[in-house]
Amino acid sequence: MYRQKYLFLLPGLIALTAIILFPLIFTIRVSFSGWDVYNPGLSWAGVKNYVRLFEDTRYWSALSRLSLLAISTVLIQYVLGFALALMVWKDVHARRFFRVLFLVPMMTTPVIMSVIWRTIFHESLGPLNPLLDAIVLGGQPWLSSPGWAFAAVMIVEIWQWTPFMFLLLLAGLLSLPSEPYLAAKIDGAGPVRTFFSVTFPGLAAISVGALLIRLIEASKILDTVYVLTSGGPGEATETASYYIYIRGLRDFQIGYSAALSITYLVIMIVALTIIAKLMVRFLVKGQS
Amino acid sequence: MTDLTQSAALSRSEPEAVPALRPGLIAKYVFILLWSAFVVFPFLWALTTSFKDANGVTNGATWLPWIQYRPSTQGWSSLFGGAGGTDITRPYLNSIAVTLGASVISITLGTLAAYGLSRFTFRFGWMRNADITFFFISQRIMPPIVLAIPFFLMLQALGLLDTLAGLILVYVALLMPIAVWVMVDFFNSIPRGLDEMAWMDGCDPVTTFVRVILPNALPGLVVAGMFCVIFGWNDFFFAFTLTFTKTQLLPVAIVALNSSVTPWWALSASALISIAPLVLLAFLVERFLSKGGLAGAVR
Amino acid sequence: MTFSFRSALMASSALALAAAPVFAQTDYSATYGIDEDVPGACSYASIDAKDYSGRTLNVITHAIPVIGEPTALHAKQFGELTGATVNVVHVPFGDLFQRIMIPFQTRQQAYDVLFFASLWLGDFNPYLAAVPEEMQQVPGMQDVTETYRGVANWNDQMLLYTMDGDRHYLKYRTDIFENSEMQAKFKEETGKDLAVPVTWDDYAEISKVFSGWDWDGDGQPNFGTAEVTKRDDLMFSAFISRVAAYAKHPDVGGGFFFDLESMEPLINTPGWVRGLEQFVAAQDSMPPGGTNFGLGDEIFSFGGGQSLMSYSWDDAFIQAMQEDSPIRNKVAAAELPGAREVWNRETGQWDSFDEPNRPAYVTWGWSSAVAKGSEDQDMAFDFLCFFSDEANTNADLQVGRFGVNPYRESHFDANFYQDKLGWEPAVAQTYVDTLRGIDASPNRVFDLRIPGVGEFMSSLAAGVARAQAGEATPQEALDGVAKEWTAIVDRIGADTIRGAYANVVALEDAR
Repeated sequence: MYRQKYLFLLPGLIALTAIILFPLIFTIRVSFSGWDVYNPGLSWAGVKNYVRLFEDTRYWSALSRLSLLAISTVLIQYVLGFALALMVWKDVHARRFFRVLFLVPMMTTPVIMSVIWRTIFHESLGPLNPLLDAIVLGGQPWLSSPGWAFAAVMIVEIWQWTPFMFLLLLAGLLSLPSEPYLAAKIDGAGPVRTFFSVTFPGLAAISVGALLIRLIEASKILDTVYVLTSGGPGEATETASYYIYIRGLRDFQIGYSAALSITYLVIMIVALTIIAKLMVRFLVKGQS
Repeated sequence: MTDLTQSAALSRSEPEAVPALRPGLIAKYVFILLWSAFVVFPFLWALTTSFKDANGVTNGATWLPWIQYRPSTQGWSSLFGGAGGTDITRPYLNSIAVTLGASVISITLGTLAAYGLSRFTFRFGWMRNADITFFFISQRIMPPIVLAIPFFLMLQALGLLDTLAGLILVYVALLMPIAVWVMVDFFNSIPRGLDEMAWMDGCDPVTTFVRVILPNALPGLVVAGMFCVIFGWNDFFFAFTLTFTKTQLLPVAIVALNSSVTPWWALSASALISIAPLVLLAFLVERFLSKGGLAGAVR
Repeated sequence: MTFSFRSALMASSALALAAAPVFAQTDYSATYGIDEDVPGACSYASIDAKDYSGRTLNVITHAIPVIGEPTALHAKQFGELTGATVNVVHVPFGDLFQRIMIPFQTRQQAYDVLFFASLWLGDFNPYLAAVPEEMQQVPGMQDVTETYRGVANWNDQMLLYTMDGDRHYLKYRTDIFENSEMQAKFKEETGKDLAVPVTWDDYAEISKVFSGWDWDGDGQPNFGTAEVTKRDDLMFSAFISRVAAYAKHPDVGGGFFFDLESMEPLINTPGWVRGLEQFVAAQDSMPPGGTNFGLGDEIFSFGGGQSLMSYSWDDAFIQAMQEDSPIRNKVAAAELPGAREVWNRETGQWDSFDEPNRPAYVTWGWSSAVAKGSEDQDMAFDFLCFFSDEANTNADLQVGRFGVNPYRESHFDANFYQDKLGWEPAVAQTYVDTLRGIDASPNRVFDLRIPGVGEFMSSLAAGVARAQAGEATPQEALDGVAKEWTAIVDRIGADTIRGAYANVVALEDAR
């Protein structure tokens, strides 16, 4: 009877492998070629691209900038999403309305919403600075100073993807069994202790999955950077994925951008594996 | 699933059930309202901008038509073949076809694979179940930019460039990992006892899956489906690189309005119109959620 | 006006003659919104006579409306007249290059007709079909100015079909420059008379005085200068405009970006550095957010009346001259400012000029071409010829958002803009004079039309952006760019690049 198990796994696995195998092998091969705007094709350039990559400080600083951006926005999304999920979990008027409302930003197309956000941050014509002036916080150089530009990119990411965390955590909350809560109540636990001893451990497994997926997605950030700042001012908001885009499709250095991507892929797989192991160890293991 | 009654019972037993205006409660509502304002703000701005023209935009940030600026319907009419615009009807239909096609295939294959990974042990060389699951998810790590040319060559060889079928094929690779991820967690939360009872009744695994597990998996399918639809609908890059002139999807058609004189009005209108079908989806998902139907969907 | 059979016969070239039978006299002007059909090889009547039913033309063009909208419009007309199916795809500028290049490099015949920036000719030339001889003889093509015909050529072959003319020039607000109160204020602050800037130093001084206060009385602060400063937007063009005055010596030929002989980059020489220093200093006179302005923002800032001066393509000027614009007829055009000190790289010193050195920058320009791999080249060229047919161009020139700008001798006629668009004579005159002046300028800079121009420009933009953000001094930033440029030259091959760059230098040194 267990032989049938392959009927389940293999169709998907084979389909995915078939679609992805050629692009992956091809990209590895391209990364050893000198394919650029003038010399298309799979010439053999040895490890030249990889040597160049290790000396490319712009790439490495873009990569560390990306880590900062991805980790911080994902954590903020997680905390906010968790808070929102807890708040509309129960005992709130019109909670079904708020639940739908909170989901909506995730439904929008990033490449289009970035343009809308750019008009919002526009320091001459946009609505944000007049609004901040009105509530005495004061307008800011949103897209023209390094720190604020970085913040602007973060704000858009948080706006768009907090709903992702919110949805997963809310669904998790709604499926929590009620017995532990009764037990906690009998023990006389307050809301804070109940949260840390019952609610949070109950959501640990979901949290790990959600954080991982968001880290993967957040690291690919491209449209928002492109539209809001094109990596500027200077290099203040240039992320690794944006840099790969510039090298690959703007400069058309196909070979070099393939090398950048393969390196990125390896780094990400290693980093995510470590992060996942750590999260499982600290969040999930403690609970069971 | 009895979560609705459970949580109702739970809430009845908690002191919060008697709403008193405690500081904590006020803070909670303030937070909810602030966040709502943050969520709504870009849409309100897009709504008012969609009724402006160049003069309305260059006069600075204004909100009220007639009072602060002279409204114009240029932004909206330009989306349906009017002057200074394009007709998005056809791309809209294309987008629906590609999104639904790819989502259905991804969910079918992804659900099967997820069930297998959840119920049986596999070993391919050093790879165990967890590694295979990670293999699926890891397909999303690669930055799409670099896949443009290999996918292009692949579809070229298959004769599928600039076709809906070609896009569906590529989207399956993008969406299936998400379906697998959601469904593995979901199946893990369905007690194995269900399967075993079915087996004892003489069902083989396939029948068990179809007759017993799948009906219980509906809420999970909703979440997985929602993610597939969102990611499929909103993909811009592959829709952009793998088509020429015949097969255009909605994001590509909308971005075609982003010229050197950025038409804030048309882009705003298109932003609103492109999320309309997905907001309906949000209502659907919320219905499941509130009925407790999603319980376990992501555990 | 109705079309007459006789005039068609008389004016048609050989092409149309073959296919100009007697057919129903259609009133093209009423149906297609043109003033009148202009008889010729690609007139409405001639195109109407062709039958391309059952054939398909695939066209890639810029986003709507700039160039994209006229493409869609004329594609629809062409389809109606000939029975051909014309598919058009619109792509934003930033991604247009790769959308065209990927199919080219992978030998995929994706598009028959391509609209793109003439800047990319250095990369696209191996994949383009030459314009047939008889097409080069049509009156509409003969009327294209020498400058823009030059831009269309590559190694003595015409590869681009000219349908637009682009260049950078200065735009300013006449209502402020001619206002006695403003003149007095400027005199008080600087001790000088307020005049239209002839050097970048003047430009800097004026924009500084007119920054940060409400000089047009609309209740909002105004600013001195709006420029394209967003890194991967078209900032490199703005920068080159500023540099040309210092680095393009009128008496030194042989290259502006590179020394043609040695293929050493010149971009970190003192003239370039001076230009960058000025670009960085100008940030203080820009509107809020002005240091991250894309072209669209620059157009809104000047065209919407926020800024006193600006320099780039026609768009901001045209925006200001729209019928419902609050600053209509309150603007004027002039040549780019210049410099009294120009770096002479042959002698290695600064030369002084009494009359400022004001090189013209013929930048970019939308252009069109037919793919070499196209199986419908005849139809494709007919479409391009129809696109830029006199009747169509005269109509397109009147729609500001189309972005079709003067490129024929006959377009430099002030009366056209007065009669058709209702511009005031003075405005129309400065516009026409400026454009004609650029065309006739003895000292001109062209874009770096060589393989890999995208790489060179994005590297340049990144360096300039670093200086703007204060991450590096102008000298350091440009030294970094020069190093990258050398590496690119080494990679693609100095001889290849020299061969291509010689085409550009030939245009520059022709006068």
